[in-house]
Amino acid sequence: MLVKYFAYIRDYTGGKEIQIEHYNSLRALLNELCKKYGAKFESKVFSGENLSDEIIILINGRNIVHLEGLDTKLQVEDVISIFPVVAGG
Amino acid sequence: MYGFTGKLLRVNLTDKTIKKEGLNPKDAREYLGARGLGTKIMMDEVDPKVDPLSPENKLIFLTGPLTGTFAASSGRYEVVAKAPLTGTIGASNSGGHFGPELKYAGYDGIIFEGKSEEPVYLYIKDDEVELRDAKHLWGKTVFETTDTLLEEVGEDAKIACIGPGGEKLVLFATVMNDRHRAAGRSGLGAVMGSKNLKAVTVEGSKSIEVAKPKEFLNICKSSRKSLKDHPVTGTGLPTYGTQILINILNESGGLPTRNWRDGGIFEHAEETSGETLTEKYLVKNKGCFGCNIGCGRITKISDGKFKSFGEGPEYEAGWSYGANCGVRNLAAISNANFICNELGIDPITMGATIACAMEMYEKGILTKKELGRELPFGDDEAIVEFTKMTGMREGFGDKLAMGSYRMAELYKHPELSMSVKKQEMPAYDGRVLQGMGLEYATSNRGGCHVRGYLTSPEILGIPAKLDPHVTTDKAAWLKTFQDLTAVVDSAGICLFTTFALGLPEISEMIRTGIGLDYTDEEILQMGERIWNLEKLFNLEAGITGKDDTLPSRLLKEPIPEGPAKGLVAQLDVMLKEYYELRGWDEESVPTIEKLEELAIK
Repeated sequence: MLVKYFAYIRDYTGGKEIQIEHYNSLRALLNELCKKYGAKFESKVFSGENLSDEIIILINGRNIVHLEGLDTKLQVEDVISIFPVVAGG
Repeated sequence: MYGFTGKLLRVNLTDKTIKKEGLNPKDAREYLGARGLGTKIMMDEVDPKVDPLSPENKLIFLTGPLTGTFAASSGRYEVVAKAPLTGTIGASNSGGHFGPELKYAGYDGIIFEGKSEEPVYLYIKDDEVELRDAKHLWGKTVFETTDTLLEEVGEDAKIACIGPGGEKLVLFATVMNDRHRAAGRSGLGAVMGSKNLKAVTVEGSKSIEVAKPKEFLNICKSSRKSLKDHPVTGTGLPTYGTQILINILNESGGLPTRNWRDGGIFEHAEETSGETLTEKYLVKNKGCFGCNIGCGRITKISDGKFKSFGEGPEYEAGWSYGANCGVRNLAAISNANFICNELGIDPITMGATIACAMEMYEKGILTKKELGRELPFGDDEAIVEFTKMTGMREGFGDKLAMGSYRMAELYKHPELSMSVKKQEMPAYDGRVLQGMGLEYATSNRGGCHVRGYLTSPEILGIPAKLDPHVTTDKAAWLKTFQDLTAVVDSAGICLFTTFALGLPEISEMIRTGIGLDYTDEEILQMGERIWNLEKLFNLEAGITGKDDTLPSRLLKEPIPEGPAKGLVAQLDVMLKEYYELRGWDEESVPTIEKLEELAIK
């Protein structure tokens, strides 16, 4: 799986993307990433058990709120994109 | 009424008369200021069928009641005229410091009429107002004009002016103020040029009174705190600027690539992104008057063939020259954008028109001989060169100066112009963001993203998370967004405040600022009234429901890859629902009942 980071999420991950072994669900993947990147990353991603309001996660370009949220199942070839809430226009 | 100065300047450029007249308080109560009130004045005084570049068109600079007050991000003013690019009502707003200064001089706005025989500029210093010779400024760039005028009238003045683009009637010329800020879309700079009006200088020393100072201060303070605390307005925009959107639109498959031909994923998006701009070229961020967001970019390309310095690019310009032209070089994109500011032309239409020409070149419709060079997608030197040539109307730039629709139509391929009502759509693919497709089709000034920015709920999740791929409820959301945006524009504050503030906060600023006892619903209804009046102007100008559509590419050519693969813009179903919600008939004409409800005569 490919995980891509954007904007100031990169400040916590120290890089733009990583290839990572397969995790069955998004929740399992994020838990692993929180272990890897530490508390600051975790505080941006999670609000308690739920996804934080300050994060946008896409799986293959689809926002997870339009999929199964944190319970979305993941495939080996999936691309996961992690953004802070951003806007412009 | 509070918030307003209560005075307008009426400047007749034909006979060189200047009158000071009272603002009509009834009109202000119904249409607020800036965009709304400007449209009302146009409707009352100008035949919508007028040639936009004739002396019979008027050019209105108008602030809103909150402009220049302590309200959040209140640096906005609006330029209103019939627009030469679209033939619709034209209303473009701009930040910076010019708008507030006009109010400090004692005027809510200026109505320019007629046409001067020779170049002039308008000098304003409080009560002293006069037309002055501008022959020495004609031909100068925006920056040269600004520098010369600041030397002439004093460095405390604020300047709005046109560059060579406006003088030469480029159909998408801008009115620039404070050097880098633009009333950017639909060609209002060409209207100014057609009147031989080069600039307006203004310096003021008066103050603006608000109705309920204590309550007004409270709501402004809490609004500013909300803006500071919100991740978008407090962190994302100040850090990365609007270019931050490149990657998220690209990852969502909605970043139109190579004149919208190659779908919504640009393989070099990261190289043109806000992250890259921040890392490589950002000097610092910058805010307009009274703004604690500070989304502006001061940017420097230190070396190489695109060495240059300026402000921007914003997301839509970064897209138009970048993904849309297939160009991956952010230095070239930034340089082309700086030149637009210098020459006074709209970078969205400029980049999109070059992209259209690139496709025409690759199809063999335009030749190397005619263009004077090759023009494949991805050519970074070409975007800079053709921008200069267009602003100066040199060589093939003379044809690019018409915008993509008229240029492509000249070669019998108007379908290659990615425009609505002859204005180019910006950086969000309506096949992927279905609501934005409806937004482009129904915008009263043609292809434009800031009339009802459904990207916010469809991609960014603000204030709700709507699925971009579906049409459900998009008409209702769009109507609310269009009406609220009309209020925000007409009040004189920045649309970006709405990422953190909603109707209750904005209404409270209006209520306590100007002293109108309107409910939130009544304030939103003012927006609806403004939207309907704009529609009526367009209908009388001959722009009808048939023009509420999208390029055939969006309606018939499915997105080739990415998460929205196979989708086209499903406009028909949304448009029908939208007209019903608006209280318009099937040809987009407001019903008598709707006009009575809105008290439009």
